[in-house]
Amino acid sequence: MGQVLPLAVSAVLLAGFYASMAYGLGLIYGVLRVVNLAHGGMIMASAYLSWVLFTRFHIDPYLSIPIVMVVFFFVGVAMYRGLVRFLPRGAAGGVQSLLLLFGVWLVIRNLAYLLFTGDDQAVRTSYSTASISIFGSSYSVNRVAVFVISVVAVVLLQLWLSRTYTGKAVRGVTENSDSSTLVGIDVERVYAITFGVGTALAGLAGVLASTLFAFNPSFGAGELLKSFVIIVLGGLGSVVGIAVGALVLAFAEVFAIYVVPSYLTAAVGFVLLVVVLIVRPGGLFGSKVLR
Amino acid sequence: MVVAGCAPSQSTGTGSSDSLAVPDTIVIGSTLPLTGTESKTGGRYKQGYELAVEQVNAAGGIDVNGKKVKVELKLLDDTSDQAKAVNLAQRLITSDKVNAFLGTYSTPLVEAQSTVAEQNKIPYVNGGGAATSIYAKGYKWVFGTLAPVENLAETEMEWIDLQQKAGKLPKPSKVAIVWENTSHGKDFRKGIEDFAKKSGNYQVVVNEAFALDGKDFSSILSKVKGSDVDLFMVDAHLPDFITMQRQYLSSGMCNKVVTYGARGTEADGVKALGQKGVDYILSAVWWNSQLGDEGLNKTFVDSFKKKYGAAPEWYQAVSYEAARSLFTAISNAKSVDKTKVRDALSSLQMSSILPGGKVSFPADKGGQASYPFVVQQNLPDGSSPIIHPVDVANGKGTAPNPMCKG
Repeated sequence: MGQVLPLAVSAVLLAGFYASMAYGLGLIYGVLRVVNLAHGGMIMASAYLSWVLFTRFHIDPYLSIPIVMVVFFFVGVAMYRGLVRFLPRGAAGGVQSLLLLFGVWLVIRNLAYLLFTGDDQAVRTSYSTASISIFGSSYSVNRVAVFVISVVAVVLLQLWLSRTYTGKAVRGVTENSDSSTLVGIDVERVYAITFGVGTALAGLAGVLASTLFAFNPSFGAGELLKSFVIIVLGGLGSVVGIAVGALVLAFAEVFAIYVVPSYLTAAVGFVLLVVVLIVRPGGLFGSKVLR
Repeated sequence: MVVAGCAPSQSTGTGSSDSLAVPDTIVIGSTLPLTGTESKTGGRYKQGYELAVEQVNAAGGIDVNGKKVKVELKLLDDTSDQAKAVNLAQRLITSDKVNAFLGTYSTPLVEAQSTVAEQNKIPYVNGGGAATSIYAKGYKWVFGTLAPVENLAETEMEWIDLQQKAGKLPKPSKVAIVWENTSHGKDFRKGIEDFAKKSGNYQVVVNEAFALDGKDFSSILSKVKGSDVDLFMVDAHLPDFITMQRQYLSSGMCNKVVTYGARGTEADGVKALGQKGVDYILSAVWWNSQLGDEGLNKTFVDSFKKKYGAAPEWYQAVSYEAARSLFTAISNAKSVDKTKVRDALSSLQMSSILPGGKVSFPADKGGQASYPFVVQQNLPDGSSPIIHPVDVANGKGTAPNPMCKG
């Protein structure tokens, strides 16, 4: 059992990456009530952008984060203005939004196959296999960096939502879009910004993924599924809930090896999802939205 | 009709009706994943098939009972999709009435497509399905030139055993088997387990599977670390190899022998991990161009380089041999009659570029060729000489791993 502490640290580091993938999906769902199925495709696309910036222009992946996030913010806004805006709101838009965004994902994936072929790519920096010691065990510098960035991202996201005018408007629209219009909030603009920020967060996740894993155009499918598990676990739409949902999932996966064969650990998250949906249908953190 | 009309004018003889049944062109159907996830490998298989067809046609065609018959390859893109591989095969067999079939690439696709060949009773030779499960179904029309992954594990263990006998590795050695949860990984595990059981000098202390495209291997690696193993034997595809090896290195692990199955020598792996990240990794593949300095191998490598301007890899070698086996069988059968070609494939003994120098499709292996792999080891200077089997080796392997301290 002397391995419990190193494994716990590993789980926390993994949770950092998991949370970073789920923020964008959670934010967009929380505000627009749209499950962005193109999220996985965006993560993949930004991993490629980070790879291109690194291999062609020698920009370190961590330094490329602002560039990638700005690019993806505008991609998100454009996607909202050009596509998502036309979807009917409410329950009627559910199926249509799923189909539309799934279609977008397929297009992105096939474009990536055309541009980059199906080869596996990876970003290798001088510190890709470097390690640092935490409580006497060695951990990859990249995994620690990804964790730190993910924590910074959740803090900034929370500050944005609670302290800025736009953030407050986002929360207002989430609570009641009709009343928000009455008090002078430009709801369409808020939706566009939210979609942009959500997509920028997918961009962040992609850059972080590119430092840890090899990827190809099919990358992102597993990430989308796990993000979905996390936002449901954490209560759809709650930012802190997402971070905790990611922790729960990561701990379940890492420690499951003591209970089930290791190849089943990936399924543990989904079993957890089913159990939570039965026991606490609103997620571990109830139905609080973006607080 | 024409055949019947001509028959009386022919001199009598048992061979004549057969030679008359020989068509002007032999049409071979095939699909490969030329787009989609497996597109890169699919493209390599295409090169192997097309080179074999070009060579046989340059020699006038296949000699079928004295008549030289040209070969036409009808190759379609199955887009790495199982359903498409099945549908296109069905179309080629029933509508285009191809004489025989060259299979697609990757175990899942071959597994699905071979069923169509079996149902339609058409000779089916593939170079893209390695899983023993394909050949364990009792099919009579399916043949494969990829030796089972069990052989990969076994050939690696043979080399390790030589090192153990030379006193370079502890006796007994503690082994960790870490395998991807696919038929590929299962065959790998079985190869090592069988060898360990037979020898008695190996103790399997960790035996763990993982799901494809893993994001975190810390729990498996911590088990391996905690068990203080000598041999770290992994079977993984490229993305998992890269992720796992990065975590392995950054957690400060080092074992006397490290292998990731077939992984380790490819340029993409070295690019992602750096030369130091792959040093002394043991790997094994079905074929390697370093085998190519004499005989059939030299001819293959030279003609390949001439046509494509690059050195072939194992993908092109096994697909080339799949096509050659089929052509040789048609020639041996002296007919394009499907049953006769099938029987000729069953009894085929063909000189080959593959390790062992011969290709056959033994019935006790369900029609899957069986031969040793070529084991290579990455050296710090960037080379990866063949270190086993001894008769084809062009370098000496190093064990235990000199990078481990103490």
